[in-house]
Amino acid sequence: MRLQAQIGKVATVVVIAAVLVAVSAAPASAQVLNSGASPIALQAVLNTSITLTLSGNAVNFNLVAGSASNPGSTSVTATTSWTLKPSVGSLKLYAFFSSSSAALTDGAGNNIPSADFQISDNAGAFTALTNTVPFGGANAGLQLSSTPILGNNKIGTRNDVMNFNITLAPLPNLPASVFTGTLTIQAQAI
Amino acid sequence: MKTGRLSRIAIVVLAMTFAASLASAQLNSGAQTIALNATLTESLTLNLSANAVNFALAAGSAANAGSTNITATTAWTLKPGRTAVGVYAYFTNAAAALTDGAGDNIPSSAFFISDNGGASTALTNTVAFGGANAGLQMANVAITGLNKTSSRTDVMAFNINLTGGTLPQLPANIYTGTLNIQAQATP
Repeated sequence: MRLQAQIGKVATVVVIAAVLVAVSAAPASAQVLNSGASPIALQAVLNTSITLTLSGNAVNFNLVAGSASNPGSTSVTATTSWTLKPSVGSLKLYAFFSSSSAALTDGAGNNIPSADFQISDNAGAFTALTNTVPFGGANAGLQLSSTPILGNNKIGTRNDVMNFNITLAPLPNLPASVFTGTLTIQAQAI
Repeated sequence: MKTGRLSRIAIVVLAMTFAASLASAQLNSGAQTIALNATLTESLTLNLSANAVNFALAAGSAANAGSTNITATTAWTLKPGRTAVGVYAYFTNAAAALTDGAGDNIPSSAFFISDNGGASTALTNTVAFGGANAGLQMANVAITGLNKTSSRTDVMAFNINLTGGTLPQLPANIYTGTLNIQAQATP
């Protein structure tokens, strides 16, 4: 038994020695050799943008004296496209005149106020331009739409189909003439 | 006759004696050795021609090229036993290679490198460095007896593709990130 134990010890020593020899004989290149890491700073900028285009830029009206219904000759589609920052909460579309008292005028002192000019947005109710909005004159505007900007539409687009009407019911004494004016459509992200 | 023979013997003895005396006139020191040890250290270096690239992104566009190419120059002096040098590009995180810091990220799968005019390839592999699925091996140089000391250049052109997944909805912002280039000699 004692002899067997001694033989076992000797065998163990031999195995350990063999392992040590094998390890020391391994080439130094067994460890991979790495260069230093070289960084490249990247900066990518996606700029904010809002674009608005109109399908047409002119609308005519054949007015009937005292009539509440004088529709425009054509509808106009406003297409709004945007790329916005995460901090933007909503995108609003406005229609406005520069003056509420003279949205259209004949240049001879006879005017059609913005209160008698109406827009139906996407087949909604006709609404007069009587509000003060971020653009245009006081009480000369209308917010056509408001789009909440969420995680899934920071880049987006929308269409607003506008139909127009002039009511002359409040203006029964408007003289015959040619009345011209400029309606402006503009979008704002806030 | 006897005298003559003795004389010849005497001459031979004298000659031998003289030769012996001549030999003992050359004196040598012991040989002193000098141990020589010259070490050529193993090295692997990588240098970049520049350290910054800018991108002017267009929403939803597949082609958003980097503002400049960058050349990586890798130089090495290797021990026998090395069989390859690899050059890698990688990010630390595949999901957020570039970020605006507000939760909007450009993943490494949308970041492409064209190496030496080759095909533009996204960083989607797990390589020796960086995050999982966030790398690209740009080059693999076999080391032979002829190039244990050598170098190579990799001209990198960059692109960001915003067409995949939810990237068309990426909000307007400034996105920043760090691309690392690193070389490794194996085994």
